[in-house]
Amino acid sequence: MSDYLLLIVSAVFVNNILLVRYLGNCPFLGVSNRMDTATGMAMAVVFVIVMASSITWAVQYYILNPFGLEYLQTIAFILVIAALVQLVEMFLQKSVPALYRSLGIFLPLITTNCAVLGVAVLVIQGEYGFVDMLLFSFASSVGYGLALILLTGIRERLAVAAIPVHFRGTSLGLMTAGLIALGFLGFVGMVH
Amino acid sequence: MRDLVKMVVVLTVICAASGFVLSYVNEATKAPREYQLLKYVREPSIKAVLPNYTNDPIKDRITITLGKNDKGEPIEKTIFPAKDNGKLVAIAYASDATGYHGPIDVMIGINLDGKLTGISIMTHTETPGLGARVVEPVFTKQFSGLTLSGELNVTAQGGKINAVSGATISSKGVVAAVRNALEVFPQIKKEVS
Amino acid sequence: MSVAKVFTRGLWQEIPPFRLVLGLCPTLAVTTAAKNGLGMGLATTFVLVCSNVIVSLLRKAIPGKVRIAAFIVVIASFVVIVELVMQAYFYPLYKILGIFIPLIVVNCIILGRAEAFASKNTIVPSAADGLGMGLGFTLSLTFLGGVREIFGNGTFFGHAIMGEAFQPFSILLKAPGAFICLGVILGVMNLISAKK
Repeated sequence: MSDYLLLIVSAVFVNNILLVRYLGNCPFLGVSNRMDTATGMAMAVVFVIVMASSITWAVQYYILNPFGLEYLQTIAFILVIAALVQLVEMFLQKSVPALYRSLGIFLPLITTNCAVLGVAVLVIQGEYGFVDMLLFSFASSVGYGLALILLTGIRERLAVAAIPVHFRGTSLGLMTAGLIALGFLGFVGMVH
Repeated sequence: MRDLVKMVVVLTVICAASGFVLSYVNEATKAPREYQLLKYVREPSIKAVLPNYTNDPIKDRITITLGKNDKGEPIEKTIFPAKDNGKLVAIAYASDATGYHGPIDVMIGINLDGKLTGISIMTHTETPGLGARVVEPVFTKQFSGLTLSGELNVTAQGGKINAVSGATISSKGVVAAVRNALEVFPQIKKEVS
Repeated sequence: MSVAKVFTRGLWQEIPPFRLVLGLCPTLAVTTAAKNGLGMGLATTFVLVCSNVIVSLLRKAIPGKVRIAAFIVVIASFVVIVELVMQAYFYPLYKILGIFIPLIVVNCIILGRAEAFASKNTIVPSAADGLGMGLGFTLSLTFLGGVREIFGNGTFFGHAIMGEAFQPFSILLKAPGAFICLGVILGVMNLISAKK
């Protein structure tokens, strides 16, 4: 049980995929302007990462490894992710339109979110079993959402503050992210 | 309908072309990739167990077959030769045995007279602070100069190796791995010289 | 637009990632040293040029609905080639760049250029666009890597250049330093562009 707790704490805080592992930065700056878009993105990310990790995990261990095709990992994974996102979009549009509308544009955007491919590859590198993989991918994506929401909250406040003109927008967003990352650095000693 | 067919055909052709190119590149780079992997993963252990050499043991590595295991599959061993100006002086190869918690992988270096030139623990899952201390030089350097004899045992069994205190089973595991390696040495020596 | 103009666009006006804010993940992650930034930039440039050329070659044959999937297959193939070649001949760099080599496939710059330019232009301009953007990216990464290396480690391309008394700001080598550095550079570049 404590192993699982360790895995979760490590993935959410100590090795936060956004602020420590640098995964998922492009959309990060684009959606962190408003809280509702940020929460939409966070939910979509958790959803897609867990599903993508599960499927790519199965592909690696039941298709790539037995046939000696490990070198095709990158191309197989990205195809799985692209197909998954497409399928999920179509499914949601027909069956759960409310959810589809609230996730909005973020679903197709997630295909190129390096966090998704990144977590899938990290799972294989960590040689996780099925349960560990589920926990790791869930915790990592929750960590991403957490960082995203934190940053959005701060940026909403900063939008009305007096900042020099040239540093507004992305520049300021990055510096803010850096300061939050500094805070997260403090978690390093937590997991021995 | 025609659109659908066109889509499927185009994608299939692109995937097939990609598959061709990639499997070609994979084959073409296989040898250098294997070499690099071995160099960065194994070279530290190999350097640690062999006397001074002038060649590249990884480039000169030989894989030999040592009979068959219980399932009828051939047992292969990769031997890393150490040469001094072209003359074979020693070889290094890996062996393993069960320790306290799991298997212990050991790299041994042995000269042509059958004397150990050194051992190095490569991987293990022993208890930190206890069994894991078998990796320390104060334990491993005891093996240098020994041969496959009564001396190659822990002191409790009449040998010269002082076991790590509190980690008898781990120490015995290392001894077993080294003994396993030395037992096949005559066979290996024949194939290598 | 002339081929030369297409090429130089990626080197200043729309230099990724400073002006064309794309491809941030590798920018932040691998720029702990100038050499790493250079290596990553060149690998990305290779994939960018090759995929732009192939996409441009095939642009009339690929039906609209499956173009993103087709682009992804093309880009991913070149990324796998880069991975295999780096593993075979540049192993230390491969180990340092780690997970970010396969992540080149989702580098928004590459898919972005394939979609915005290569799929609508002939081969030579597409190649020029890829080369310009790729080299611009390489320059940016090397620059950022250099800044972080000089002030965070006292070295540049591995050579110690700050004096003995220099205490490095090692925070620059970690995540917070990366974010803040990039943020400052972006702001400064906005300043410079505005003054022009």
